[in-house]
Amino acid sequence: MNTIAEHIADFLKEYPPFDNLTFQELSDIATNIRVINLEKHAVLFQNNDPLHDSFYVVASGIINLTTIADAEETIINKCHEGDIFGLRPFFAKNNYMMTAKAREESIVYAIPIAVFRPFVANNSDVLNFLLESFAMNSRHTKDNARSNGKLDTNGTYIDQQSEMQYIQSLAYNNSPLTTESQHIIKDVAILMTESMVDNIIVCEKNHPIGIVTHADLSSKIATGRYPITETIDKIMSSPVVTVLENVSLAEAQLLMLKHNVSHLCVTKDGTSKSSVKGIISEHDLIVAQASNPGVLIKEIKRSQLPKDLKQIRDRLSDLIQNSIQKNIPISHVSNIASEINLAIIKRAVELSILDLGSPPARFAWLSIGSQGRKEQLLLTDQDSILVFEDVAPEKYREVKDYFLRLAKRATAILEKVGYDYCPNGHMGSNMLWCKSLSDWTKQYNSWMNTPGENSNDLSSIFFDYEIVIGEPKIEEVIENVVFKNAVNNTLFFDFLGNDALRRNSPLSFFKKFIIEEEGPQKGKFDIKTRALMPLIDSARLLILSANIKGIKNTYLRFKQLAITDSKNAEIYLSCAEAFLTLSKFRTVEGLKNDDSGQYINLREMSKTDKEKLKNALSPMKDLEELIKSKFQLTQFS
Amino acid sequence: MLDWIKNINKEYPEFWKDYLTKLEAKPNKFVVLSTETSGLNPNKDVILSLGAFAVIDDSIVIKENFEAVLLQYKFLEENGISNEFIIESKMNKMPEAEALEAFINFIGNAVLVGHHINFDIEMLNAALERLDCGRLKNEALDIDVMYRKLTDINDKQFSLNDLCEIYKIPKSDRNSSAEDAYKIGLLFLKLKSRLGIK
Repeated sequence: MNTIAEHIADFLKEYPPFDNLTFQELSDIATNIRVINLEKHAVLFQNNDPLHDSFYVVASGIINLTTIADAEETIINKCHEGDIFGLRPFFAKNNYMMTAKAREESIVYAIPIAVFRPFVANNSDVLNFLLESFAMNSRHTKDNARSNGKLDTNGTYIDQQSEMQYIQSLAYNNSPLTTESQHIIKDVAILMTESMVDNIIVCEKNHPIGIVTHADLSSKIATGRYPITETIDKIMSSPVVTVLENVSLAEAQLLMLKHNVSHLCVTKDGTSKSSVKGIISEHDLIVAQASNPGVLIKEIKRSQLPKDLKQIRDRLSDLIQNSIQKNIPISHVSNIASEINLAIIKRAVELSILDLGSPPARFAWLSIGSQGRKEQLLLTDQDSILVFEDVAPEKYREVKDYFLRLAKRATAILEKVGYDYCPNGHMGSNMLWCKSLSDWTKQYNSWMNTPGENSNDLSSIFFDYEIVIGEPKIEEVIENVVFKNAVNNTLFFDFLGNDALRRNSPLSFFKKFIIEEEGPQKGKFDIKTRALMPLIDSARLLILSANIKGIKNTYLRFKQLAITDSKNAEIYLSCAEAFLTLSKFRTVEGLKNDDSGQYINLREMSKTDKEKLKNALSPMKDLEELIKSKFQLTQFS
Repeated sequence: MLDWIKNINKEYPEFWKDYLTKLEAKPNKFVVLSTETSGLNPNKDVILSLGAFAVIDDSIVIKENFEAVLLQYKFLEENGISNEFIIESKMNKMPEAEALEAFINFIGNAVLVGHHINFDIEMLNAALERLDCGRLKNEALDIDVMYRKLTDINDKQFSLNDLCEIYKIPKSDRNSSAEDAYKIGLLFLKLKSRLGIK
């Protein structure tokens, strides 16, 4: 009789794979558990440690799984309560390939493999879950299994990249094309063409004896040296350079240089006397160097499914996180991130067009809000509008219908990628925000000339827009309408100015942070509403009133204002800096908690960080005074 | 103080002799324990239940545990207390003598850990005396003392609940000595690493 073991069994049965087991089985397992307390930053196991005899379940706290590549620590996964990790001893015999480290003080249950193994053997659901989790903890490999056998270079090279970087010693899931030496060149070439790969391994009893690549075909067939009716062994390059499956990126590069080859064959024991497990091409190495933005954008362009896009978006998060850790200026990071976001949104619309057929009229899909300002670093909700050119009245209904369907499809894809629907319905899929150019012109006219009347549907985010796909002329027209209306429009600026100043100040009279007093975010600081939004709103207001076109970004807007309105330059420049600092705080917080980073937990912050944050808030007072005097806000105050 | 005189030439029960020989070796584990008692007077009150876990290599080993309800019919009758609590419990029920023997075998030479452990030890000693045994000789650690040492607070005691709150150990609705022993175990792991105790 062991009461605590029963409590632990109670805990475990809430989480997969344990929910597949009976309570009695779980009690037996729980009886054999060891309970471990890990202080913040404590390491449970690290790269290259010998395998433990247990795997682990997080009972409380968070465990980060990280790998070290090129002396940089990269977080692969965060394990929360109920998550399992450290499954490697189930599936492999060599050492750990990653580090498990407590992000905060955590308690974990160590479940001995020997105790758990019988349950795995007897229960295929449990086994499948463990296999999937193992793959997930090592990221992206789950999809390797799917693309296995498809032999599509486009599809598989994404996976190889992470494989190279993160889990180098895992079995390569790519099954390379193989053939035997007596096959006819023409047949082999047809096979290669059909499978869309540039190489094939020539085997004898599954042992590699040579390789045929495009280079061989062009130099030995296209030149006429051998007829296409010869056997493949006449033109193969031999011997083939073989490597062990856990070869590192650097080593692979060196081997290719040393042997002057473009492909390495992965075999079971690293020699040509064992069976083939995979092939590494030069191209894989290039891709593996970094999650470089160019590659991401290229991959976005050839994505066919929302889940491909989702995977790329996840990698963008990694990229952002790494860039911030490496102290790359946040303005660069947000530029890159918004380019990638833009490409994803564009691809989502393209995929919808592929489904629905060509649009019946020219149109423009505009991102509005944060993406319109190119400031989107975290996964936020989507904001968009759709503008289509004016058509004959009898066709209007049909055309609008098409674009609504298009927008619904595209927003649904984006939702699958991870961008939530806008809670206020500010999306092109909404009847209200999908309309013809002349309707939009009317809309902007009425917003700007009679701002008080229908103020509930006027959101300032409509004044930050950027074309994603479609006819650039349409965006120009909208921009002209906005700026024409802005000239000397006191009423409108009065409205925007009050809107900007309406937000509550971030610091109390005694320079203390004003924190949330109730609700789920109690005790946290709302950095979005109290710090970022006032800066964003003010920048927009000032840039519109100064009649400066084409600058969408809050940081650049302040920079530009410092040039145009030089007597207040100091205030603008400190606002520009403050905006970057605050965005960084928000992004770091968001990455830490996988959310939008709106609320910052001050208690977890170091003293210096708190001071930095406070300093970033100080220019806001000056900015407020500046706006008050500039616009003499009266009408709506 | 003159305890040792009482013990001269005394014939101890077998398990106690065993226990004494075990103590010659160096301890290689900790045992966290908690007792539930009928009151606070070691001479008049009795232990109603015992819960304990072994802590080896910085982890609580769930398998090495001890849980028992001590049957104290005499005490209950004399004090007019019903024995409802005992009947409802799912734990092992043992007469006091048998339970103590098993417990002594379980702890061996381990370092004992508890919350206000002096009281637990006094209660155990009183029960052992009834069995003609000597007093417990294990080293003992008190998590309240450990916490106060860590934080340098000398003028205050902390209840088990206080400590659980400080270290964010979830409360459970069930209360038993095993439950308390487990919580003490978690607190011990946390305090141990902070104090750098091997």
